[in-house]
Parts: sequence; C-alpha cells; structure tokens
Amino acid sequence: METFKDRVVLLESVGDEIGYAIALMMASKGAKLAVLDINGKNTSHMVSKLKENGIEAYGVTSDPADCTGAKQAIASIMEKYGRIDILVNNSDMIVKNEIVNTKAQNWYQGAKNNMDPAYFLSREVIPIMRKQSHGRIINIGSVEYLGLPHTSIYSAAKSSMLGFTRSLALETAKDHITVNWIVKGDIHSSKMSEEQVEKLAAKIPVKKLGTPDDVAGAVSFFAADTSKFITGQTFFVCGGKSLYFSMSI
Amino acid sequence: MGIKNRVAIITGSASGMGKDTAFMLAKNGAKVVINDIAEDKVHQTATQLRDEGYDAIGIVADISNKAAVESMVSDTIDAFGSVDILVNNAGMERGGALRKLSEQDWDITHNVNLKGPFLCSQAVHGHMVEQNRGRIINIASRAWLGGPGQAPYSSAKAGLVGLTRTLALELGRKGITSNCIAPGLILTPLWYELPEKTRNFLEKKQPSGSIGEGDDIANTVLYLADDDTGYVTGQVLYVCGGRSLFSG
Repeated sequence: METFKDRVVLLESVGDEIGYAIALMMASKGAKLAVLDINGKNTSHMVSKLKENGIEAYGVTSDPADCTGAKQAIASIMEKYGRIDILVNNSDMIVKNEIVNTKAQNWYQGAKNNMDPAYFLSREVIPIMRKQSHGRIINIGSVEYLGLPHTSIYSAAKSSMLGFTRSLALETAKDHITVNWIVKGDIHSSKMSEEQVEKLAAKIPVKKLGTPDDVAGAVSFFAADTSKFITGQTFFVCGGKSLYFSMSI
Repeated sequence: MGIKNRVAIITGSASGMGKDTAFMLAKNGAKVVINDIAEDKVHQTATQLRDEGYDAIGIVADISNKAAVESMVSDTIDAFGSVDILVNNAGMERGGALRKLSEQDWDITHNVNLKGPFLCSQAVHGHMVEQNRGRIINIASRAWLGGPGQAPYSSAKAGLVGLTRTLALELGRKGITSNCIAPGLILTPLWYELPEKTRNFLEKKQPSGSIGEGDDIANTVLYLADDDTGYVTGQVLYVCGGRSLFSG
C-alpha cells in the first residue's frame, strides 16, 4: 500500500507506544518519517527501533514547546526532505491531582507540555503546507478533556485543542489543508497490570481497551489524501466511552 | 484487516452516494447488496457491478416496511451466507416552512430516514451478535444540527444520531460497532436539481469553498467498516468541508 508515497510525516513526541504505532503504520504505507522529541533518548530510541524494522527515520531532538526549538526542528526537516505534508501533534503529559493539592507550577507545566508544541509547530508548518497546497494537521487528544475528578489541569490543557483545531481548520480550509483532533480513550500500554486492564475494560461499552494501532489507524485515515473533505472535527477512538459524557458530539 | 469477503448491505444504493459506497466496498473486496425501491435502477447498478467483476446482488425493498426488510436480510444470507456490514444510507427529504408541512411530509421523511435504519439494524443485529462481529454505519446529515425549512428531515437525522449512540451502547460488547457519518454538501443527482443561484449561495458558505464528492463519503464508510476499526463506536463524523464548525 502506497497511500503516503512521497509524503513526509512530522511526528512530534515519540516517547510512547502510540507514537511508535503511528510511525510504523505511516511508514508501512510509504511515508517518509521525521520524528521529533525534546528528549534525545526518546528520539534515538525511536530511530533505532524503526531501523530494526527496516524503516529509515530522520530523528530531531529539539524543544517543540519553545519558539526557537520548533523553528529549528522545522528548518532541519525541510533541509532533509524539502517538504512536510503531515504534522502529528502527539504531546501528552498527564497531570493527576486534586486541584487543592496542585501548585501553580503544575498548571503552567501542564499547559506548556500539552498545548505549546501544537501551537509552535502548527504556526511554522502552515506556511509550508500553503505553499505545497497540501497539508494535514492531526492533534492527538484524550477523552479526559471532558473532565473527570483529579484532572483539572490535564483536562483544561487538553480541551484547549477543541477550539484550536476548529480555528485552524477554518483558517486553512481553502488551502487544501485539513486539521482534525483524534481523542483517544483507554489505550493499552505494556506498563499496565492485568488487573488495571480488566478494571478499565469493564467501564467501556466495548469491554476492552484500545491498542496503539487503533489510534494509528485513525491517524492514517485523517492523513490520507482521500480524507480531504473532513476538517475541524473531533473524532473519538475510545470504544464508546465518550457516550457516557455530554458535550461529546 | 480490511473488508475482504465481508458482506455489505447498502440501502438506497442504486444511485448517488449509496452507489459510490457500494463500488468502494466492492473494489475493496466486499460482497455487496444493492437495495432501493426503484426496480430498474437496482438491477442496473447490480449488473454494472457484476459486469466489472464484483460480487453483487440487487434486492428491491422498501426499508420502512418490516416484512420487506426481513426478507431482504434473509435473501442476503441465502446468497452470501452472512451480513457483516449494514450501511443505512437511504434517505429523502420533504421540507418547507413549518406552516406548509403536511402530516404526510413528516411521516414519509421519518419513515425513510429513521424507521428504515431502525428496522434494518434490528433485522441484521441477531446475525451479527451470533458471529460476534458487525458494523452498522448510518448516513445522517450535517442538517441534524437544525436548519430552516428542515423540520422533518433535521429531526429524523437527529433521531438517527440517538439510534447510533444507543446501538453502540447496546451492542458494543458483542463486537458490533455503530457509527454515524454526517455529510455536508455532496455532489449527488439531488444537488443538480437545485437552482443555480441556490447552489452558488451554498457553495460560498463552505469554509473549504468546495462541495464534496460521493467518494468522500464512501472512503469514510470504508474506514468505519474495516475489521481494524473496532475501537471506534458511537461516533458522529462530519464529512462536510468544515461546514459543521459554524452555520452562519
């Protein structure tokens, strides 16, 4: 399958299993990959893991939550590949605490880590996509944005992507750029215990956890040329968990 | 992964978006059932698919009639041995200012857009539960958000969203997903029936500046129908060039 032949994907934040699944799926469909992380260990680990699968990826270590860091990352990828077709904003820093036990610093960090990379990278990449007359921006969110106890900081930061996605979609709709937001539910991670998995699964309509591939499949769908008429949308990959919340359509 | 050898019923598929969807699913390996009320068109589309080398049958049935729906489903199982994918695509609109609408306008719009998907889902779900696998994909409309002159249509499509979410909750543990696609303006034969002035007006309101094509919907159906899309259920996905983001 060559859905993404000659397309360049910039995958931001690659320290988790979801990032790895997205990289593998996009590469398996012909995309060229640039992987970006603030943490050099994450970048080199991802590049070498992909190499074991016969996939060449261009690793960039830079702080995407910083104006200069984002500019440098984009410039370096442009030098390497000459274009960026698909930006996947995968930053996710979970903050869990009752509000009365949080510090101002937690609030600022939660906002910075979950919001700033999407802002700086989108701002830099949109002029490039406009020149190409083609682009896909995909933000990865979390169902907790709808608000659960002990997630005040996290849900506030995550829900920012609702308005951000819709606003960018309208700003770029005529430029053959789409901007969408994939909201993940409970996704299996190798760090979870069997007991944790069972407990979480019982609370989901489909009675199972999702896999990193479920998220990657949605990324691949929105990133494809064929999804050109879908923009500004929120799309839950959550086994139906969103149905328990209002404000989820 | 994929939809190879899966059996799909697509209602209202003799023409327009439904026909595009049937071709998309067939090209990706599914066996398809063409359904509509117009007998000549059903057979024409089914023949066209078979001539191109795909597995297809045509079944004429009024989806708002329970007996007709039940016989469509049993004929499908007789022909192909299974039903894996149901695309509730058939739809129609009788609109106008509230004072001008008749009881018949309301009834026929609700029968086709809402009762039909209910009856079809009910008729296939037992089989899907048995095989622990199924995909129900409802074609609603961006218009479920409400629109002047669209009282019957908008309310029926809003009902379809509720049906989608309910089926997702009821059938989620049985390996069956239920999702909704809400198309915006799509180039179908109906679009060309609108006066040019109206078409220009509507086109200008599109954030994307363009109208969608049947394949934009068909591709979305293909994704939601895939064996690998089992963790997406109860969702409404707008395929509308950003028009759902505001309607001013």
